[in-house]
Amino acid sequence: MTAFTRRAVGLALAAGLVLGTSFGFVDRASAQSPMSSAEITKQLSEVTQFDPSLTAQVLQGMAQRAVAANQPLPLDQSEIAKRLAKLAQIDVQIQFALNSAVIRPQSYAALGSIADAMHHPILWNYRFLVVGNTDTTGNRAANLALSQKRAEAIKEALVNLGKVDPARLDAVGLGQEALELPNKPTDPINRRVEIFTIGTVTAMPKPLQ
Amino acid sequence: MKRHIFGLAMLTLAASAGGASAQTMSFADAGALIAAQCGASIERFCAREDVGTGKVASCLQQNQKDVPQQCFAALQQAEAGTTARLAAQQATFGLCQDDARQFCKGVKPGDANLLDCLLASYKVVKGACRQGLTNAGWAN
Repeated sequence: MTAFTRRAVGLALAAGLVLGTSFGFVDRASAQSPMSSAEITKQLSEVTQFDPSLTAQVLQGMAQRAVAANQPLPLDQSEIAKRLAKLAQIDVQIQFALNSAVIRPQSYAALGSIADAMHHPILWNYRFLVVGNTDTTGNRAANLALSQKRAEAIKEALVNLGKVDPARLDAVGLGQEALELPNKPTDPINRRVEIFTIGTVTAMPKPLQ
Repeated sequence: MKRHIFGLAMLTLAASAGGASAQTMSFADAGALIAAQCGASIERFCAREDVGTGKVASCLQQNQKDVPQQCFAALQQAEAGTTARLAAQQATFGLCQDDARQFCKGVKPGDANLLDCLLASYKVVKGACRQGLTNAGWAN
């Protein structure tokens, strides 16, 4: 996994896919410009290491245990967030209908950009984890459940509309258990969808003869 | 493997339709187009449907008389454009096989190495390969 060095080329070639709209990136609002598929491709291909033991099931178990035990939220990064932080990732704001997993049309283009990135040759052979997160507004257990539904809705849209192979995608909701800003737990910035590169589909092919 | 066969079929179709002009579309552009042409109708009539399930499209059909024709045109355009884009992506490395042998010997496939090499050789690769790279959305 050391071959991701010439991304300038990738950026240039994918520049044609850049969207001039601001669809899909709402909560971070004006502070953040929309992420193009070129940027997504670049960030998701910056793999330094995988953590094979970190699966959707493991993460879900960690989050469920934290909710069941009703442990106080840590003031710094949670254990879950620390493990995820090591992986190549993007952070996107997908707009959902209130208290629902329905993706609003404003975010269709953002979803499309993610699908485009996943169809790019640099990411063809990789698998991804879609993670849904909330802030601490509302009920902790309900947040966990809603974020799971939202992560699954994104996976479903990427598969059925974006034609991404379902074997390449896992989805998990972490509720408020992996806050982006642990010292500002109600900040809307914590409401986000993250996508992590978690491994390869098959061994890399052999060189041309 | 299925995708390769499908890609081949699409390639044949594209070739018989006169080649170069395959109107391919990125999923981002398709999403933006659908949001622009159908967004208001979706929010009005189909606000409870998950888009990934396909129910939004059938909901729009059910409300056909109140949904602008441009929305249905956009849905068709998006479907056709992204299908053509995927077919082009599947077909490109086949179209570029000879060029890859000529210009990219020893390049290790994967991590877009081959694509990077083909793009670096863009001016000298054959027309079909060049067109394939363009239709795949990777060349510009």
